[in-house]
Parts: sequence; structure tokens; C-alpha cells
Amino acid sequence: MLKLVFLGKFGDLAPAHLSKVALPGDVRTLSDLKHWLTRQQPLLGQAMAANTTRLILNQCVAHDLSLPVADGDEIAFLPPMSGG
Amino acid sequence: MRIRIVQEAFDPQVETAAFAAGRDDAGALVSFVGLCRGATDGSDVRELRIDQYPGFTEKEIARMAADVSRRFDCPDLLVVHRVGAILPGEAIVLVAALATHRANAFEAVRVLMDFLKTDAPLWKKETGPQGARWIEPRTEDHARRAQAEKGLA
Repeated sequence: MLKLVFLGKFGDLAPAHLSKVALPGDVRTLSDLKHWLTRQQPLLGQAMAANTTRLILNQCVAHDLSLPVADGDEIAFLPPMSGG
Repeated sequence: MRIRIVQEAFDPQVETAAFAAGRDDAGALVSFVGLCRGATDGSDVRELRIDQYPGFTEKEIARMAADVSRRFDCPDLLVVHRVGAILPGEAIVLVAALATHRANAFEAVRVLMDFLKTDAPLWKKETGPQGARWIEPRTEDHARRAQAEKGLA
């Protein structure tokens, strides 16, 4: 299973069942996962397509979307941040 | 360095006093408190909600604080940041610095706030009479952050 975390506005667009998904057969990388999510939820995919979206793989910033995704991974999707 | 993410309302004066207690080695204490406004751009704000990414948010703020601490030779920094539902008038964030001299403490607080505005993994949602909207950093926040980044290079 993959644990998916959608933060901020992405959380409003992601249905609850996407928080835990079986690793899809055609998903090998973070980029594949983004494409798979876009096919599942086009509005979410559209929102996440902006180049301001950051991905966090197992609590580490993923600068490279060609990084592999494996069963048990936690992947978070971050829209632009607004602390302070 | 003390970094705390808190769900409940906090008293910045109590936090600051505890941070500085017994520190006769420091010559300066500077603190900044960010408050929840009751109106933004003329629209009332009923509530502000701040989301975090548990674990990651605290780790990232600690990393930013460590960078600022090294740059300004300011080892004692305090960050207290609210998450969850916040009402107008309540404190959102407290950043405080203890240093030998005031210049370093002022700069450490200012630069750390600039980083928090754009880089801290936190997401604000404002609710008012017209509904709710997610807040994103303003152009001036990015400009200040770029200025702060230059100094860290």
C-alpha cells in the first residue's frame, strides 16, 4: 500500500479513499504516480500540475520525480506554503 | 533552539519569559508575534485554520532556524507556531532570539520570519462571510524571502 498525504488546498480536492492505495501496476516513479492520480481525479491533477507543487517522499523533499515509488512509501503533495 | 507546533492558544509573553529566564549571558532579547487579523483586504475574517504535515513541518522549521542561527551567531532561537483553528486576535506565531548584542537578535528574528512566510510547511485557510479561501504567499513575501536567501549563500 501507499500512504498519500494531500496538504492544504489539495486536501479539499482529494477524496478520502486516496489516502491509502494499493501500488498501481503501472506506477514505478513519482512522476507515474502524479499521472495516475490525474487519471483518477482530473481536478486534483490539474491543481497539482503547477510547478509550485512539491513532493515529499518518506518525509524527505523529492527534487526528482524520476525517484522510484515502492510499496509502503508515504508520499505527500504540498501546494505553496503560507506560514507565519 | 526550541521549536514547538501547538494546537491550543498560547500566551507569547509567558513563552518569551520562560525562554529568557535566567539568561544573564545574553545582552539582547528580540521577539516578534504574528496575530490573526479580524479583516483582510476589507473582508471580515471569522476564523483562520492552519494545516501542518505532522513531523515534517517541525523538522523543516528546525532546519530553517538552524541556518539562521549559524548565520547570525544566534544559538538561542524560539519558534512557537499555532496550527488548527485560530480566532482573530489570537497569536499565530512567536519567534524570539537571544544574543549577545541586539543587531544579531533583530536580524535573526526578521530573516527567520521571512523564511517562515514562504517555506514553512504550513497552509492557511481563512473563513469569512464570503466563504473560505486558501492563502498563498504574496509577491512581497517572495521578494523578502529572496533577499534573506542572498544573505545565507
